[in-house]
Amino acid sequence: MDLRAGDSWGMLACLCTVLWQLPAVPALNRTGDPGPGPSIQKTYDLTRYLEHQLRSLAGTYLNYLGPPFNEPDFNPPRLGVETLPKATVNLEVWRSLNDKLRLTQNYEAYSHLLCYLRGLNRQAATAELRRSLAHFCTSLQGLLGSIAGVMAALGYPLPQPLPGTEPTWAPGPAHSDFLQKMDDFWLLKELQTWLWRSAKDFNRLKKKMQPPATAVTLHLEARGF
Amino acid sequence: MALFAVLQTTFLLTLLPLRTYQSEVLSEPLPLTPESLKVSINSTKQCLHLQWTVHNLDYHQELKMVFQIQISRFKASNVIWMGNYSTTVKRNQVLHWSWESELPLECAIHFVRMRTMVDDARIPAPRFWSNWSSWEKADAQNSLGDHPLYVFPKDKLVEEGSDVTICYISRNHQDNISCYLEDELTYGKQLDQNVWAFELKNVSFHRKTGTNFYCKGQGVPEGVVLFVSKVLEEPKDFSCETRDLKTVTCTWDPGSDTGLIQLPSYTLFESFSGKKTLCKHRNRCDWQVTQDSQEVYNFTLVAENYFRKRSVSILFNLIHGVHPLAPYNLFPKSVSATNATMSWKVSSIGHNSALLCQLQLLGEGKVIQQHNISVRVNGEYLLSELKPDTEYVARVHCAYADHFWKWSELISQNFTTAEAAPSEAPDVWRDVTFVSGHPTVTLFWKPLSKVHTNGKILFYNVVVENLDEPSSLEVLSVPAPANSTKVTLNQSSYQIYVMAHNSVGPSPASAVAISGHPENENVEEGRVNGTEDGFHMSWKPQSRNATGYVVEWCDDPQNLPCVLQWKNLGPTNTGTIISSDAFRPGVRYDFRIYEISAKGMAHLLEKKAGYLKELAPSYNPEVATINLTSHSFTLSWKDYSTESQTGFIQGYYVYLKSKTGEKCHREFEKTVLPDNSVGCKYTIDNPDQKTFVVKDLQPESVYEFFVTPYTSAGEGPLDDFTKVTTPDDYSHILTHITLPMIFCVLVVMITCYLKSQWLKDKCYPDIPDPYKSSVLSLIKFKENPHITIMNVNDCVPDAIEVVNKPEGSKIQFIGTRKSPTETKGTKPVYLDLLPTEKNYSGPGPCICFENFTYNQAASDLGYCGHFPVTPQAPHCQLGPLTSPENLLKTLEQNYMNSLGEIPAGEANLNYVSQLASPMSGDKESPPANPPEPALCSEYKMQMAIPLGLASPAPSKNSSLSSTALLDPSEHCH
Repeated sequence: MDLRAGDSWGMLACLCTVLWQLPAVPALNRTGDPGPGPSIQKTYDLTRYLEHQLRSLAGTYLNYLGPPFNEPDFNPPRLGVETLPKATVNLEVWRSLNDKLRLTQNYEAYSHLLCYLRGLNRQAATAELRRSLAHFCTSLQGLLGSIAGVMAALGYPLPQPLPGTEPTWAPGPAHSDFLQKMDDFWLLKELQTWLWRSAKDFNRLKKKMQPPATAVTLHLEARGF
Repeated sequence: MALFAVLQTTFLLTLLPLRTYQSEVLSEPLPLTPESLKVSINSTKQCLHLQWTVHNLDYHQELKMVFQIQISRFKASNVIWMGNYSTTVKRNQVLHWSWESELPLECAIHFVRMRTMVDDARIPAPRFWSNWSSWEKADAQNSLGDHPLYVFPKDKLVEEGSDVTICYISRNHQDNISCYLEDELTYGKQLDQNVWAFELKNVSFHRKTGTNFYCKGQGVPEGVVLFVSKVLEEPKDFSCETRDLKTVTCTWDPGSDTGLIQLPSYTLFESFSGKKTLCKHRNRCDWQVTQDSQEVYNFTLVAENYFRKRSVSILFNLIHGVHPLAPYNLFPKSVSATNATMSWKVSSIGHNSALLCQLQLLGEGKVIQQHNISVRVNGEYLLSELKPDTEYVARVHCAYADHFWKWSELISQNFTTAEAAPSEAPDVWRDVTFVSGHPTVTLFWKPLSKVHTNGKILFYNVVVENLDEPSSLEVLSVPAPANSTKVTLNQSSYQIYVMAHNSVGPSPASAVAISGHPENENVEEGRVNGTEDGFHMSWKPQSRNATGYVVEWCDDPQNLPCVLQWKNLGPTNTGTIISSDAFRPGVRYDFRIYEISAKGMAHLLEKKAGYLKELAPSYNPEVATINLTSHSFTLSWKDYSTESQTGFIQGYYVYLKSKTGEKCHREFEKTVLPDNSVGCKYTIDNPDQKTFVVKDLQPESVYEFFVTPYTSAGEGPLDDFTKVTTPDDYSHILTHITLPMIFCVLVVMITCYLKSQWLKDKCYPDIPDPYKSSVLSLIKFKENPHITIMNVNDCVPDAIEVVNKPEGSKIQFIGTRKSPTETKGTKPVYLDLLPTEKNYSGPGPCICFENFTYNQAASDLGYCGHFPVTPQAPHCQLGPLTSPENLLKTLEQNYMNSLGEIPAGEANLNYVSQLASPMSGDKESPPANPPEPALCSEYKMQMAIPLGLASPAPSKNSSLSSTALLDPSEHCH
């Protein structure tokens, strides 16, 4: 099947909007609802979908930056990008994370990444790339909303809004364009890593939240009647 | 201290004129040296900025001086540049000078020093350089951090095609660093222990985000982005105009993009007013007209980027450059069938000026009317001579009336005029057929053209007027879009009117007259040739009072029902061209030409048939072979229609091939067939001849034939040949002789069977009647007057011989056989009718009916011949019995056969034919074998046989006679 990028973005935006509205739907908050399981599943699906979309976007954007950033084996040491939330974490630490912390880290990471991503958008030159970035930002906003929905369903408070303002693109001698490109590279790379990690996070949550088989059976029977 | 300074200054001031005077007199140079030299680095522009002053000048004195500057790199002794800078210097003036370094200044320490010399005409030569200032150091590396690798210059803007030098500083001497321009490895030269430089020649534009140059060792790669700008083009097509005399808008073509995120700036200067404005767009700029009634403007557009400045100028007269705004609110104020009033508004222009508006009326995409109207605020115009029910487009644009320069944009509005009654009668034609003597009229009419409908046709009214009964009118209403209707009439004269109606009213009526009687169809059919234009038709008028002619035809005659087409022609026409897009090559079109009388009656004038283009026949006839003989056969294709072909059939080709490959028959010609085989061809040039006799053939030969029609375009397709094998010569004998004979025999046999009783009675009745015997005729034929028929009553049977079935009689018979001589003269022994033991001497009883055939002589002697016969009586012999000879012969043969076939002892009671005895009467036909004495004696034929015939002389012992054969001893003892 031949899906154009525009169609995919439109579908994704629609999906994100729906997910964003999920917490506000009263029917989902009523007593006896299926719980956060479906929301986690949808968040997981959205994460995988964004992962797929980012592969395409990153390819275009890195080509736009030029060599060496678009070279497949370009993997410089990570320096000077400490402001970006790091997705990599020790395995034991990751396993020991409780649900609240896991979700909070995800939420905060995407909040940051979304801000930086919007910074990318402003300096991008071509209209098509700007459109793709805008669509991806909308999708990422949807993911953020979806995570917020899961947290709300589990009764966890949302993290406090980020202090300060959004990062802005300001060329100058303090931060050369080459370093700026390096930052963009790292942003996309970190975003990819975060999406990969989030898929693991939500998969773990999904399994954890999955009700026992008997309960499922009973539930299905009840729905059947 | 201050006092000292003042005194010193005073001293110096008094001394300076003195020194000047001395120099003028003594020609000695003034020792003026640059002081307070400061060097700074501008990293963005990669410039060394020098700043210094010159002391020792009078307060009011200005001297032209030359400063010689030396720049060293890495160390003071390594002078890389030296040059002069001339300027006029005032006392205590701070002088500035910049030097742009090709090598990024961050990569090397630079040293600068200078000296000066007065270069003023007022100071006579000779002139001397002052002493060099001390070296001033410019070191940008101090501001660098502790990164192991730095690449410079950072984010440099360069113009496409220029040369750039890039350098890196490595703090790690052990690191092996390689540098790339984009993805291409670049080689540089080492300037210092830690510094390498790369000269990039003729850099090109890669992307808006710049060209990457980066170096990588073991650590994080470091690089710079070169923002390469394309060369800024000069603005083209620079022009200005005003829409409302309040704002001047200047536009231009900026050319291709420079390729940088930072766009070039465009500034509009007006030299008369000295004002300028920074343009917000790269191809357009607005200039506000002030109230000072300035009419002429001298605009200069300056395009500028980091590297270049381009400018273009124009002299603009405000009044001459008015391009009014587009009018608006155009609408049809009132619309009738032929008129429409259009109304619109215009945007006012300063000073209440008038606009010249042009109103255009378009029909079917073409401008059909154009009107110029002077408008101040509201425009209005009455468009006339419009067609009813027609869609038009009105459009308007305006220009400045005082000085035309440019039309405004067009605005347009569609409108449709109102309907009117159709303006023309429909074109009507008819097709008359007679059903049971009553005319059935099918009326056809063509849809009115849009020019004449004047609205949507809703229905057609058909008025049938019986001319013989003027009071009777029949009105039919046929809803559109039907284009035909059927009317059944009486055998009267009729006038039929057809009118088209739209919502407004009817069209004029179209009249058709019908006679009510069949027309004369016996008109000879002619032919007409088709051309590219169509069919050129011509006819001979029959009547001088004809009011017109009509040619009718079917567009697609191959598909029924026929869609009748017709063409009306005036009375003066005697010919026309019939053309239609539906005409196809290879289709026969039949045309009928009618003459219209003064009463409106149509009379068939001529019939014509033609093809737009004749084609070769598309299929061949199915040919039957009849009358096949050994020397000829007949081909027949009578079912082949010559009228439904793709051209006029001109005849047929008969192709004949024989297996023997012999030469062609008479009337045939040898030809090469399309499949390259050789055959014989006969041409039938009469299309109505649909049989052909192939003659002079060889019996028992195989012939192949193939019949194809031909038209002027060629012959039909090559089909398979049909094989015919001629029969042999004897077959006719079989059919003409043998079969009738078989038939006759069968008839005779059937007749015999049916008449067997009669035949039996005739030939061998159970009780033979001598009078009826055919033998009699034979005897009579001999004309023996002595032969008579013995009366039965004359012979009284005296004995009955009873033949008993003997066991092994045959053996006995053979054993008891005696020679004829022994039996000669012996008298037969007869059994009495009542057998006695005494008389019984044989092995078995045997009943013998006495012989009823008598030789008269024997009879006279009392001799009763006894002749033994076989137990079985002979069957009826049909054919040979017809003559007495045959009869005798047959009897003899039967007898002989019976002797050998019948086993002894099987017969008990035997009947002996009366015909058995006289068989030996024919001397010329002696029996092949002498008769054997039979066991039993039988009933003998009662026939009077002449003695001479019956008893031949003893010398002639080969002859048989009943007396000689009958040996009583062998039979009944």
